[in-house]
Amino acid sequence: MSATQERLAPPRAAGGYGPEPLLEIIPSPRPRGLVKFITSTDHKQIGLNYMVTAFAAFLVAGIMAELMRTQLIVPDNHFLVADTYNQLVTMHGTIMLFVFGGPFAFGLANYIVPLQIGAPDMAFPRFNNLSYWLYLGGFVVMMFGFLTNNGAADFGWFGYAPLTEAIHSPGPGADMWVVGIALTGFSGIFTAVNVITTVFTLRAPGMVMFRMPIFTWNQLVTMFLVLLAFPVLTAAMALLWCDRHLTTHFYAPSGGGQPILWQNLFWFFGHPEVYILALPYFGVVTEVISTMSKKPVFGYKGMVAATLSIGGLSMGVWAHHMYTTGAVLLPFFAALSLLIAVPTGIKFFNWIGTMWQGVITLSTSMLFCLGFLGLFLLGGITGVMLAEPPLDFQLHDTYFVIAHFHYVMIGATAFGAFAAIYYWFPKFTGRMLDERIGRISFAIIFIGVNLTFFPQHDLGLRGMQRRIFTYSSFEGWNFLNLLSSIGAYLIGIGTLFTVINLIMSVRQGRIAGDNPWDGQTLEWATSSPPPEHNFELLPPIRSERPLWDANHPDQLTEVGH
Amino acid sequence: MRFEYKLMMGAGVFLATICIIYGFWSQEATGTVLLLFGCAAYVLVAVYLLMQWRRRQGVDRPEDRMDAEQSDGAGEVGFFPAASIWPAAIGIGGIFAGVALIYGTWYWVIAGVFIFGGVIGFTVEGEAREE
Repeated sequence: MSATQERLAPPRAAGGYGPEPLLEIIPSPRPRGLVKFITSTDHKQIGLNYMVTAFAAFLVAGIMAELMRTQLIVPDNHFLVADTYNQLVTMHGTIMLFVFGGPFAFGLANYIVPLQIGAPDMAFPRFNNLSYWLYLGGFVVMMFGFLTNNGAADFGWFGYAPLTEAIHSPGPGADMWVVGIALTGFSGIFTAVNVITTVFTLRAPGMVMFRMPIFTWNQLVTMFLVLLAFPVLTAAMALLWCDRHLTTHFYAPSGGGQPILWQNLFWFFGHPEVYILALPYFGVVTEVISTMSKKPVFGYKGMVAATLSIGGLSMGVWAHHMYTTGAVLLPFFAALSLLIAVPTGIKFFNWIGTMWQGVITLSTSMLFCLGFLGLFLLGGITGVMLAEPPLDFQLHDTYFVIAHFHYVMIGATAFGAFAAIYYWFPKFTGRMLDERIGRISFAIIFIGVNLTFFPQHDLGLRGMQRRIFTYSSFEGWNFLNLLSSIGAYLIGIGTLFTVINLIMSVRQGRIAGDNPWDGQTLEWATSSPPPEHNFELLPPIRSERPLWDANHPDQLTEVGH
Repeated sequence: MRFEYKLMMGAGVFLATICIIYGFWSQEATGTVLLLFGCAAYVLVAVYLLMQWRRRQGVDRPEDRMDAEQSDGAGEVGFFPAASIWPAAIGIGGIFAGVALIYGTWYWVIAGVFIFGGVIGFTVEGEAREE
């Protein structure tokens, strides 16, 4: 049975948050097990579905990366054949970006955003369920490429024309890539509509926009970007499909098409996408740092403004991936790309300001956030370097770019995701993760990431191109590649620790209680895991951290800083 | 409502500005058109929000007021359907439609059945709550 949710004004709650009224819940029967997984319209179940699938995709794409690094560990290696290597390169990138990075954040948005704004569910619960199925379908269709005759797509994750045309990439593998991405694209658009509507219409009374936690703000801005970027991607895929099947020539130069058109369309999606992958995790980091330092976010409004300006500027930087085509307006894109470092710098300043004089708990989630600060700073600085056209002309399509990109993506997306797992796992399951294993996992991954990707800066400067499947020993790249591969194995081992931790703690972890971290925002005001329709009672919302104000009446949050 | 409207309108105006600068400076069609349509998308939502705001005759909702009590939000919040199989059915139909784009005709039949059935189920389920 369905429930029409009502907010009533009942009598004073015993032992609650003072005179504020309750949210009365009309319960409905809940399906269990597989049926629950398939049919649930509860935002928490769908959020978990997203996150578990995305984490599985992370492991799959991670194994692909390990295979690639094994191929590159020594010169003239024949561990993989060239074509398999190309397929792995393509699918590693595609899965990490389209199936892990974005959707894991969508899962977090699904689970956490309604809780943080005091909503009973997402605005469109069934629509939400549908978007999960399209996402899962996209992942499965993409992976089925490996089972076809010609293998999966092998033209690199940004599928430049004319290599993607049917004559150069025959077979259904490439089509599966196209269809898979289009399906995940639809899923992303649906999620964006859902989250924006939820934030705009389902906030609890008193939760004005400028009291929303930074995580919710960042998710909102992310969804703005999704709304702009994903339709372009899906349209680009549709045109590519027409080129491959209906003998149109949008991208094929042979028929008067424009390969540059594909690059423009793809990167018009692709650059906001990088921020779609980063902004939600900036939000995670903000929440964790603030909670673990027992302080409100330093410069709340500055943080929101920085998020908004990153979102805005990210729509005008797409062609900095295309400097070397000679067909783009260099000063415009260089200026905007350099400008985007400013709001990111503000965020760094505010994160450090939040920790300043705080009572810092070095939990695993906090460690991942500190790791994030280091890695993302390095990735950001190389990003500023690459935004300058003269330097980019030298380094384009070398391992320097790979190093830059992985510092950004692992720093923000992977470390952000790990921090989110360690921070919110008690809320998801009601049990704590093992902190000791978590710290070991962090240490190994952090060392591994630096060992893998730092040498790649130098490899790029020495001229190693991206996507080559082997190299000769006279190039002088042997030692650095060896280091890089060892680092990749370390990342794998470190991740394995977290996987074991997750599996063990789901059943045997210490019972967490409602609010194990002394959290400040509303998701900790309900039980762990939260009941259907989330809240039995809400504390009064008078600042951006209502729960802290309710729990620590002697240290109320200053309003209006 | 008003702040949400400003947010969306701001995004639209920002994109319009970028679009004009970029369009005149670069004379490049693809990016200009994309920016223009991006701007239009945001302005569309902004205008809808403005209409809603007008319909409420400028009265703030409880979630827009700094001093709102929980009781101010008393009343129906919305309809939240319980578990439903139909989204999954439409999803499977969508996936088969995707496969049909690769392998052709036959899969359209399967996709059509799932999507058609799913949409009917979805709609009927939605109507059932009115009673």
